[in-house]
Parts: sequence; C-alpha cells; structure tokens
Amino acid sequence: MGLKRFLLIRFAATLFTLFAIVTLLFLIVRLVPGDPTQMFINEAVWSDPAAIQRQRELWGLNDPIYIQYLRYLWNLVTFQFGQSFTQGISVRPIIIDKLLNTIVMMGPSVVLMVVLGAVWGAVAGWRRGSRFEQISAIVSLATRAVPSFFLAIIVLMIFSYNLRWFPSGGMVEAGTNLPFLQEIFSLDFLRHLILPTIVLVLRGANESFLLMRTSIIEVKGEDFFETLWAKGLSEPQVIRHAIRNAILPLITYIAVISAFLFEGQVLIETIFAWPGIGRQIVTSLMDHDYPVAQAGFFLTALVVVSMNLVVDVLYGYLDPRVKY
Amino acid sequence: MEIVEQRQPDLLGNGLRILKSVGQSFLGTLKTITSDRLGALGLILLVGFALVALFAPWLAPYKPFDVMYRANGAVLRLDPPSSAHWLGTNNIGYDVFSQLILGFPTAFAVGGLSALGSVLIGTNVGLISGYFGGWVDQILMRLTDVCFGIPFLPFALILLAVAGSSLQNVILVIVLFLWRTTARVVRSQTLSLKERPFILAARAAGASHLRIIYLHIGPNVLPLTFLYVALGVASGVLLEAALSFLGFGDPLTPTWGQMLNGAFASGATRQAWWWVLPPGIALSLFVIATYMVTRAYEEVINPRLRERY
Repeated sequence: MGLKRFLLIRFAATLFTLFAIVTLLFLIVRLVPGDPTQMFINEAVWSDPAAIQRQRELWGLNDPIYIQYLRYLWNLVTFQFGQSFTQGISVRPIIIDKLLNTIVMMGPSVVLMVVLGAVWGAVAGWRRGSRFEQISAIVSLATRAVPSFFLAIIVLMIFSYNLRWFPSGGMVEAGTNLPFLQEIFSLDFLRHLILPTIVLVLRGANESFLLMRTSIIEVKGEDFFETLWAKGLSEPQVIRHAIRNAILPLITYIAVISAFLFEGQVLIETIFAWPGIGRQIVTSLMDHDYPVAQAGFFLTALVVVSMNLVVDVLYGYLDPRVKY
Repeated sequence: MEIVEQRQPDLLGNGLRILKSVGQSFLGTLKTITSDRLGALGLILLVGFALVALFAPWLAPYKPFDVMYRANGAVLRLDPPSSAHWLGTNNIGYDVFSQLILGFPTAFAVGGLSALGSVLIGTNVGLISGYFGGWVDQILMRLTDVCFGIPFLPFALILLAVAGSSLQNVILVIVLFLWRTTARVVRSQTLSLKERPFILAARAAGASHLRIIYLHIGPNVLPLTFLYVALGVASGVLLEAALSFLGFGDPLTPTWGQMLNGAFASGATRQAWWWVLPPGIALSLFVIATYMVTRAYEEVINPRLRERY
C-alpha cells in the first residue's frame, strides 16, 4: 500500500468516525423521552397548545425523523449551529470566541509540558538508577494519580487564596474590554494564564517524561550506541544522538496530548472560570441551552478526531518502519 | 471410545476448570505483587480502604445527610474540625467525616462495577474480533475506533444532562467509555494466541469455536483482563469524581467527587480546607494505591517492562 492510499484510508476513517459520533449524539438526544420545546417555551405559553405547535413547526420537529436527521447533518457540515436558547443570538460567533480562548490557554501549556517533560525524562533516563530517577518515578506516579481538578483546587488554595499572587479565575480582569489580540498580549492576561498553565504542565509533562525516559533507556541499549562511545565522542555529543532518536515519538505525542487536554478542558476551565469551550459546554448544559452545548461538543469532537488523524499521518511519515 | 466420551459437553466440569484457572492465576499474582515493595504498599492501602468501606456504616458517626445544630438551635455551618466533628461540617451542616467515610463503599461500588462491566464487554469484543477476523473484526474494530474518537467528558456530560444524573447512568457512561482499551489489547493478544500450536490442535480435535474462545484462548488472556479490571477501578473512580465535580453526578449518593463539587460550587474552598482536602486526598490515595498494585502486576505479566521503572 502506498503512502497516498494510506492517507486516503485514514482520512475516510476519520470522516466515518466523526459521522458516527454525530449520529450517536442525534440518536441519544431523540431517544430520550421529553420534548425539547418544553425547555424553550416559558411556562405561561406552555399551556397554550397552539404556541407549542407553532414552535415545533418553526424548528421542523413535525417533519419525519429522517428529514430531521439529514437537516441536522447538513447544519453541522455547514457550521450552522442555530440560535442560542438563552442568549438569543447565533451560536457560531459565541462558540468560535470560546474556541479561540481555549486555544490561547492550551498553546503555551502544550509547548511547555513537551519541552520540560522531555528534558526531565532525558536526564532521568540518562542517569538510570540514580536517586534523581527514583524520585522522578514517584513524582510521575503521583501526578498521574491526583485528579486534575483536585490539583487545580490545591494550586488555587496556595497561590491565589493564601499567597494572593495570582487571580483565582477568568481570562482578564473583570470589565476589561480590549480587542482579542491586544488582550492576549497584556500582562493581565499572563497573570491569569499562569495558574492553569501550572496545572496543565504538571499533568501533561508526566507523559512526555515517561516517553523520553523510555526512549533514552532503549537507545542506550542499542549497538550503535557503543559505537558512539568507541568513536571517542564526548558525553554531550552522545546525548544529542540519543535525543535525536527519541524525538520522533515525542512529535506524535504533541498531537496525542493536545487531543487529550482538549477533552479535559471541561474541568480546568470550570475551575479557573476560563471562558473557553469546555466551560461553555458545562454552563450551557446547566442552562439547558442545547444548541450551544451541541456545537461545543461537535467542535471538540472535530478537534480530537483531527488530532488523531494527525498522529496517524505523522507516524506514517516519520517512522519508516511503519508499513501502510 | 474414551475420546468420544471426553468430548461430551460437560458444563459443570468446564465451569470448574475456568474457576480453577481463575483462582490459580489470582493466588500466583498476589504472591508476585507482594514481592515488589511499592506493590505491597499499594495492596496494604487497598485492603485498608476495603475495610473502611466494609464497616463504613458503623465507622461513620452520623448519617451523611443529617444536618448538625448548635446548642442554640442554629445550623452548624462550616464549623472547623472539633472533637465532636473530626473533619468539621460543610455549608449545609453535614458532618464531613461521615460523608468521607460513606464515600468509601461508593468508590468501590462505582469503580468495581464500571471495571467489571467494561472489561466484560471489552474482553468479549476483543476475543470475538481477534478469533473470527474478517468482517466481524472489521465491524467491531471500527466501532472501537469510533469510541476512541469520542471526547469522553463532554459526551458524558451531554448524556447525563439528557438522561438524568443517576448513579446507574454515571456507571453506564463510564462503562461505555472504558471498554475500548481492553477490546483492543485483548484482540491483539488473541490474534497471536490463535496461531499457536495448542489452538490448532484443539481445532483439529474438533473443538467448537465457543469452546476454543472461552476455554483455550480465554484463560490465556485472563492475566491481561485482571490488569484492566484493576486499572478500570481507578479510572472509574476518577471519572465518577470528575463528573460529580462538574455537577453531573448523582446528588443523592455521597461520593468524594460530590463533596468536592459542593465545596467548590459554594465557594467554601477559600476557607474550609477540612471540606476540600479529605475527599481529594482519599481519591488520590485510592488511585495511587491501585496504580502501585497494577505496576507491580504489569511487570509480572509483561517481563519486558521490568526494564522500565
């Protein structure tokens, strides 16, 4: 199988996955008893059957189910998410704003956790069996076991409530009204970004640590490694060879961790009151604002599934041993 | 003649054989886990947790949803730890220590049920998919792929928002999410097992597909399924806590996630450390203990891992 065919198949599989997820969502929402109109129309009108009929007609709920399904698919494909129940405006601008906010929070964290975790793992792997490595192993185990939301609360309690170094939530000081770009390059934004970044990096660096550490240990066991020493290379030169070998899995890992973190934003953004897509899903569900929640979920699924595709393709490109 | 007789379906005998192999693997495993220092520590912690869970109704001094009052009749809100209330009270006047203790059995129930459910589904999907191959494999594995593509937390939230946040629904959602890894791992194991001589011999002897899958391949993937049960317990507890923390858990069941949700949502995290730290620490310790045990166990079933830490 050639590379082209491999890419085509992966792409088709990704589209299928997305289609299946979206269909599943449609089925679940329809199968569950209850009438969505009930959530929307206020109680005074609810007793008037004619008003309910009008609303159902307007939303196309009187059409046969397959028409509704096809319309639902078409709307998602064309990014028409409808109107927000509670805010009365189009969903698309709301959700795109939130998506941007999530991306500006995650971007720096992903870079930091990959770089810091890799350096940490490289040192631990290089000094196999040392005190440093043993402590690292325990720290890594602990950061994997402590739930991210508890970690976030602890960080908040220490640095925000007690020491008062950083604000407890939000993206900028309340009342700030600047254009987006100006906002994210302000000092105020940076102050708000630090605590969530600490939590994300503590959580995510662990994976990149494990990856780098294993890679280094594996490389150290290979024959070519002995040759490097025999050639008379200095320690830093040898380390550079070892790291270059471990960099491939690390690059694919960036896509894996981005997908993973994107899902978890639901928790982190809720705790730090960050106006991102994860928190929007939670608050919209609480307010029964289903169009917004659905759009948020669709975009999250889109990002996660695309990241998985990127991982597959990168693997195909970067590792010649992978056969298509 | 004898051969023909042995081929008669012997349900009781088969059942006993399966039970025996389960029992033997279990005992052997226990021995190897305790030979590892961290593994032994994790096991001791887990046994301790299990004991607390078992005797929780007697250990908890109050009912989880009993409101405490001061001598003058006022509700005892956010009272710091004292001799009457070891971990103080929360904003509604519930005794935090009692809630914490009663979170233990819930944790085991949620973790256990979600682990068993997901491993049962995952193992069967993996066995059937790997053994039969072809279009069966295609369908089941594409289904698994779809599950891997679903962003779990947002999906679970929507599901619970629509279907209602009962403990039963929470466990169901977690099972829906957890089975996928087991299915993939068991499938790849089955793929290699089914080409081994003893399986070919069983097929040549005329054993049925079901018999080969559950009596010949099944026992060989058991060690793996144990691992995923243990990991599933930890994941199940963590996921339930996350869902409860976000306010989509069952409000009528005392769980650690529910306590953290109450503390965070009411803004009490600012002063009431006694309400925040105990459930969080219990949660973390429970998961760490499980990880320590599974890590020791992983080295047993996969000797190559011994090279790693």
